[in-house]
Amino acid sequence: MKNKQLKKILLIMKLSTFFLFFSLISISAETFSQKFTFEIKGESIKDVLTKIEESSDYKFLYRSDAIDVNNQITININDENIGSILSRIFDQGDVIYKIFDDNLVVISKNTTSQQQSVTGRVIDASTGEPVIGVNVSIEGTTTGAITDINGNFILQRPAKGATVSFSSIGYITQKVIYGDENVIDIKFIPDVLSLQEVVVIGYGTQKKATLTGSIVNVGGEELTKSPMANVTNSLSGKLPGLIVNQRNGEPGRDDPSIHIRGTGTFDSNTSDDIDPTKPLIIIDGVERDYMSKLNPDDIESVSVLKDASAAIYGARAANGVIIVTTKSGKLGKPVFSFTYNTAFQHPTKVPEMLDAVAYAQVYNEGDYYRQGRPATYSPAYSDEAIQKYRDGSDPVLYPNTNWMKEVLKPYSLQKRLGLSVNGGTEAVRYLISFATLDQNSDFRHMPTSYKQYNMRIKVDVNLTKDLIIGANLNALINDRHYTYVNNGGTNYNETNFYNILLANPTLPAIYPNGLLAGGRMGQSPLLLDQRGYDKFEDTPLYSSFTASYKVPFIKGLKIDASFNYDLRNQFEKTLILPYYYYEYNVLTQTYDKKQATGASTVELTDLYSKWTTMLYNYRISYEKTYDDHHITAMLGQEQQKNSYSYASAYRKNFVSPAIDQINAGSNAPADKNNSGSATASAYNNYFGRLNYDFKSKYLAEFLFRYDGSQNFPSGKRYGFFPGFSLGWRLSEEGFFKNSVPFVENLKLRFSHGEIGNDRVAQYQYLQSYSFGQNYVFGGNDAAGIYANTMPNPNITWEVSKKTDLGMEATLWKGLLGIDVTLWKEKRSNILAARNLSIPAILGFSSLPNENIGKVDNHGFELVLSHRKSINKLTYNIEANTTFARSKIVYMDETPQAEPYQNQTGLPVGAALYYKADGIFHTPEELAAYPHVSGTQVGDIKILDLNGDNVIDSKDQFRFDKTNTPEVVFGLNIGMQYGNFDLSIFFQGQTRVYNYDSYFGSLGTSDFNNAVTERAKNHWTVDNTNGTMPRADAYQPGSTTMYLFDATFVRLKSMEIGYTLPKSIGAKIRLDDIRVYASGYNLLTWAKEIKWCDPENDGSFLFYPQLRIINLGINIKF
Amino acid sequence: MKKILIITALMWSLFSCSDKILDISPTDRVSEDAVWADEKLIDAYHTELYNCIMHGHIINMQSKTTDEAYCSITFGPGIIPNGSVTADNITDVENTQWHKGGNIYYWATGWQYVRKINVFLDKMGTTTLDITNKSRLVAEARFLRAYIYFEFIKRFGGVPIITTTYDLTQATGTSFTRATFDDCVNFIEEDLTAAFPDLPVTYAASDADFGRATQDVVKAMRSRLYLYVASPLWNPSHDLTKWQKAADAAEALLNSGYSLYPDYTKLFNQPSKTANSELIWGRTFSSTNYQQTPVNNLGRRYGAYGGWWASNGPSQNLVDDYDMTNGEPPFIWVNGVKTDNPASGYNPQMPYDNRDPRLEATVIHDGAYYHGDLHEMWIASDGNSWGYDSYLQSGDNPRGDYILKKFMPGIEEAISWQEPYTQPWPIYRLAEIYLNYAEAKFELGDEVTCRQYIKLVRARVGMPELPATVTGETLRARLYNERRIEMAFEEQRFWDLRRWKIASDVENRPIYGMQIIKDVTTGVKTYTPVKLLQRTFLEKMYLLPISATEIRKNNGSITQTPDW
Repeated sequence: MKNKQLKKILLIMKLSTFFLFFSLISISAETFSQKFTFEIKGESIKDVLTKIEESSDYKFLYRSDAIDVNNQITININDENIGSILSRIFDQGDVIYKIFDDNLVVISKNTTSQQQSVTGRVIDASTGEPVIGVNVSIEGTTTGAITDINGNFILQRPAKGATVSFSSIGYITQKVIYGDENVIDIKFIPDVLSLQEVVVIGYGTQKKATLTGSIVNVGGEELTKSPMANVTNSLSGKLPGLIVNQRNGEPGRDDPSIHIRGTGTFDSNTSDDIDPTKPLIIIDGVERDYMSKLNPDDIESVSVLKDASAAIYGARAANGVIIVTTKSGKLGKPVFSFTYNTAFQHPTKVPEMLDAVAYAQVYNEGDYYRQGRPATYSPAYSDEAIQKYRDGSDPVLYPNTNWMKEVLKPYSLQKRLGLSVNGGTEAVRYLISFATLDQNSDFRHMPTSYKQYNMRIKVDVNLTKDLIIGANLNALINDRHYTYVNNGGTNYNETNFYNILLANPTLPAIYPNGLLAGGRMGQSPLLLDQRGYDKFEDTPLYSSFTASYKVPFIKGLKIDASFNYDLRNQFEKTLILPYYYYEYNVLTQTYDKKQATGASTVELTDLYSKWTTMLYNYRISYEKTYDDHHITAMLGQEQQKNSYSYASAYRKNFVSPAIDQINAGSNAPADKNNSGSATASAYNNYFGRLNYDFKSKYLAEFLFRYDGSQNFPSGKRYGFFPGFSLGWRLSEEGFFKNSVPFVENLKLRFSHGEIGNDRVAQYQYLQSYSFGQNYVFGGNDAAGIYANTMPNPNITWEVSKKTDLGMEATLWKGLLGIDVTLWKEKRSNILAARNLSIPAILGFSSLPNENIGKVDNHGFELVLSHRKSINKLTYNIEANTTFARSKIVYMDETPQAEPYQNQTGLPVGAALYYKADGIFHTPEELAAYPHVSGTQVGDIKILDLNGDNVIDSKDQFRFDKTNTPEVVFGLNIGMQYGNFDLSIFFQGQTRVYNYDSYFGSLGTSDFNNAVTERAKNHWTVDNTNGTMPRADAYQPGSTTMYLFDATFVRLKSMEIGYTLPKSIGAKIRLDDIRVYASGYNLLTWAKEIKWCDPENDGSFLFYPQLRIINLGINIKF
Repeated sequence: MKKILIITALMWSLFSCSDKILDISPTDRVSEDAVWADEKLIDAYHTELYNCIMHGHIINMQSKTTDEAYCSITFGPGIIPNGSVTADNITDVENTQWHKGGNIYYWATGWQYVRKINVFLDKMGTTTLDITNKSRLVAEARFLRAYIYFEFIKRFGGVPIITTTYDLTQATGTSFTRATFDDCVNFIEEDLTAAFPDLPVTYAASDADFGRATQDVVKAMRSRLYLYVASPLWNPSHDLTKWQKAADAAEALLNSGYSLYPDYTKLFNQPSKTANSELIWGRTFSSTNYQQTPVNNLGRRYGAYGGWWASNGPSQNLVDDYDMTNGEPPFIWVNGVKTDNPASGYNPQMPYDNRDPRLEATVIHDGAYYHGDLHEMWIASDGNSWGYDSYLQSGDNPRGDYILKKFMPGIEEAISWQEPYTQPWPIYRLAEIYLNYAEAKFELGDEVTCRQYIKLVRARVGMPELPATVTGETLRARLYNERRIEMAFEEQRFWDLRRWKIASDVENRPIYGMQIIKDVTTGVKTYTPVKLLQRTFLEKMYLLPISATEIRKNNGSITQTPDW
């Protein structure tokens, strides 16, 4: 009964979804997937076939003398397709049929054998889609079959024990020992290194087999395996050459830093928002910045162009290009997919801080040293006080607060839901998807939440045989909700974590009567939700309209055009509230309510921002095969215009925060303020590509872009960026095939090209002035203006010359796959400001970028893979590693005192450190060795590097590692056993060092707490053998004492899934049900940084990365 | 088919490619040509030049680096009292630091504004615009350049004299060398002389133009300048003509219509625009450009920060230097040793009784009322209770048990982080001119006039004059002390100790605070000064080093200050 109801509900759901997409589906009447519903009572088969012919485009062809079509049958057909109907009206053993593309159905007598046949279905293991055209064969015989549009096949019944082989391009060949079943269902594992696989490249696609550039890609299904809210973070370790580091885990602000092959250039102006080391990210043909917020289910593939092949994007591609392509509608019946995930998130590692007792002790130590180690010392925290902290007898005056424990939730929830339908006919293909994500704060009283809604509709229509038009609309709503305290710059997380981690534990958090205390500087994290909010409603809309026209009278000639318009509106509302805390007054013995820092009245700012991008391009391409020669050529033009504007309104003195709208604020002129401005930028460029191959054996490619950027002055705007690549497929050579038959594929490739980079602030060729920097005369503001950056009238492109040499091979049918790439890059004309060499005495305002830097980079990428299938077990292992190192050949730098301080010759970002050589344990040691003024016993012993018996800046050396890892690696293991699948992914980095600027602080005068790791075995008067520096230790600059190897290996993600057997799914009319459990950041092994997550970029004061345990279900119907 | 071709052709023509797409003018800024063609924009440019002027309403006040306060922090300005300052870390105390570094190191800002001023003077020299008040604007600009150079020579001695503007192409290949101290003084005098005739005589403190350069401001600057020039640091031979110049410069302002403001407390704690007969020049604030000195410096009682990390609490050293109301100092320093002065009647267990009223106006101590609140800094002898303003109550109450009161608003103004405080920062006021004059006259041997002008300053707060028996080195000590007391926390002490060449004595004295124990049974308080900080002053610290990086950037053409 229940089951019936469920069926009915499902049917209604299905129908209503159908109606929703009616306009699309209606065109699909002529497809294979047309369903029939009728009832036959005692009619002949012939009549039935005629009936079908009348109500559809199907035509049946059969010999009435061979096929018994006059049999009377009684049958109920309910929403079934043609294959299913035919298999029901004919006895399968006797009759076979074949459906052709033009809907012609040939029915014939099965003459080959009197044996019964077996049937089965082949579906893609990763997507669950049927696989069409799979070759099914019984080994040692000539009998075989091919799967149809639904992945079904009928095979002559093999002998028991015979081997049935399933093969298809793009999949790993599977073999099954036949055990007398009637049905053989196969899950086909895609061959990720498949040669026939098509890879997205700039403005087009190319077969992996004939690819000559260094391009790697990953399929969308790989990315959906990790339950991370931010899809960009799932790229980490998956793509050789891509270095992804997640620096913080705050919902909605957890974008990782991404570098392709390390940092090839330098950012001389870190104060602007422009990062010249960033790769170019192209989403569906347009530079778009929301990769991290994509619906992972929408992603078809992510390609990374690492070498000269990026030259097609000339202008901004010097740091490599990431191309994200979203899924399109697929030919076939509508497939509905529903995914639901619930995840529990919790920080990976929470730093352990000193408790009140230890804190008071180290504070006393520091205080004692600051007083010059007096003979009689009256401690800031007396022994009695410390005893009270220890025994907890007076929680009001002597609390022992673990701030992290006070604010950290045991877990928080993350929910993700996805719904999509996908299908199409020859005429129209469509994809409609919807997804939501809901992520909450991991901290109590911290009003952080993130909600994301993704909607996409993508339609491709064959208007005529030659003209295809398409539209791809993607709407994104992301609501980010934070405390307003976070507001401001790159250190937005610091504010919170300062007051959590550095808050001193002798301060109460909550008084025993429940009142909230002030915490560190009156900024207790528990008060954050009382202080107002900073809300973003960010609603970008991305649209692409494409047309593709095959010129009918010239075979191989095609014109493509696209028009793209992106509109992003963001509304930010910042509400600042006066807030209060309580403080126990020892004199009155009452709790005083106190107003803390922050607003005196309710203050509200509304900020509207709008960004637009308009981009259109035309491409003409031509493809021709002439004997063994194959040529493709493409030429295109593209223009892009971006604009940005904002307007803001501010009021204060709201009567109440109940109505958080501008009009509720005070009308007094002094209580109001507003602001606004606008900018625009543009690009104009021409590009082209020519490919030639001979017998798919000798490959050559040439590409170029002639690029114009508005960032440069007229006359310096255009740059020409060419690239070429060559390939040789040795495995196609006859001699090679014969001598080493176990090598299926072996290709050598080489590429070289020149690419540009223009990522610097606009208008640097002009001297301009901005309003601001008012001065006050007589108590009244007088307006000021000030000069911006000094002009550089000669500013132009940065140039990158890239050379790649690669080899890829597949041996023993996939038992071993190797892909190795060696690369070199020379950057010149690097746009850098001469901040480091121009003396301040010249009095320049800020300095412009000039084309002065030179950097050499080199490295390699290696991928090893192995795949095998043993009966029901199929598995694959892929290991990849990336090495990238930069070397500055020339940069503007301060003339250094000592040669070992030069930046030149070392990687970008290499910093100066004093070399720590343990600590001074005794006054004798201190007296015997040079040290800076202010050094005491227990301080770090700094090595006198230049041996001049003075410790000063000349003793710093330039360290050759940075916080961008030189080596990253990933290990991916995938397994499939029957209905179970398992994937395990390890990721790590090495040759990377973090300087922790807060780690060294212990017992300092500013009341900051310290990590317990720092306090371990530190030098004290009684522990003169300690290895760590004393409390309140002094160092004249960064020393290697607090420079840590950030090597780590982590079990980044693991997923185990179970696909319910077909029979269960069929009962409730669902095609495919998969349940799975996955985890992210499950285990971490760190070499040195054990007190916090080692993936941070320096200090432990950040929103920690999250460990996520996820449960999910995916249903297809 | 045809349709499609037509549409394609149409679209192509509509979106035809053009280079013009790259010609975009900025919409968020003004071009240089526009600035110098518009009188209003020129005015705004000129106004902005005034930002070269430093003020002391900053997070880390300069007092932290002197013996006026107990600087509890070892970073930022803490490197000065700790003696760990070097040419490498001197930029930690630069005025461009977020915490303003006590305005100690002033280099980048100064040179930027020298360039801005030079650009302005160049443009005014060539402009064809008929600009109202052009001569006054030029005069103000030259005055500001003099201000910057005075700030330079106080710190570094001679620096390069730059009167031309360089552009980026001249950045390499141009080198500078330090001019002598005397050359710089002459250069300042040239600018002041040139500016003088085109400036108005004065603006009252309540005037809308107060804060701009005037003839009186020029005179005040000369008075301080020549005092510095004549002081032992720059006048080791005790050249009396220099002292005469200092005396003359001060004398020029003695009778210019200013008078000592009767209330020493209100002299500093009234908002901008308030009439103030004593103030010659200062930096004012507005409700949008305000300061937060009260909440930076008051104690936890008001949710304030005690000087940030409670590091600007007045020191016992300062408190000890206030005379008794009978005119006698409680302590006398003999050969670097501090001894009691029995004649003063100072009672160490009633340390705040019968003291110079300026103590009450400058320091909040145990038992003092401020803003209607009784401040209590004691700790019970059993350690179980303490005064609400004691350092045990909060790390935001200074450890030395003293809180700054100078500049703190009166009861009529609320104390909160939200209040836009506009108390001006005094730069020149009449009392200083009196003391400058007294000092110059003393050095010239005219002790009568010296005592006369000290008397004027003391009389304002009701303190008795110095008896005629106070002469010679004793008078010098009292004169120096008068300046310390009168201008405490006004960014004078740091420079005075250096120009007097007494820093190697004074700045090596440890900083003390007060420990107040209250007997739980009798309620009697015991006052014990406690040593809080060992200070270090090295001989080379009389002048500041130029940042080592800057020296290297100049390829050594600029010499480092001696011994750094």
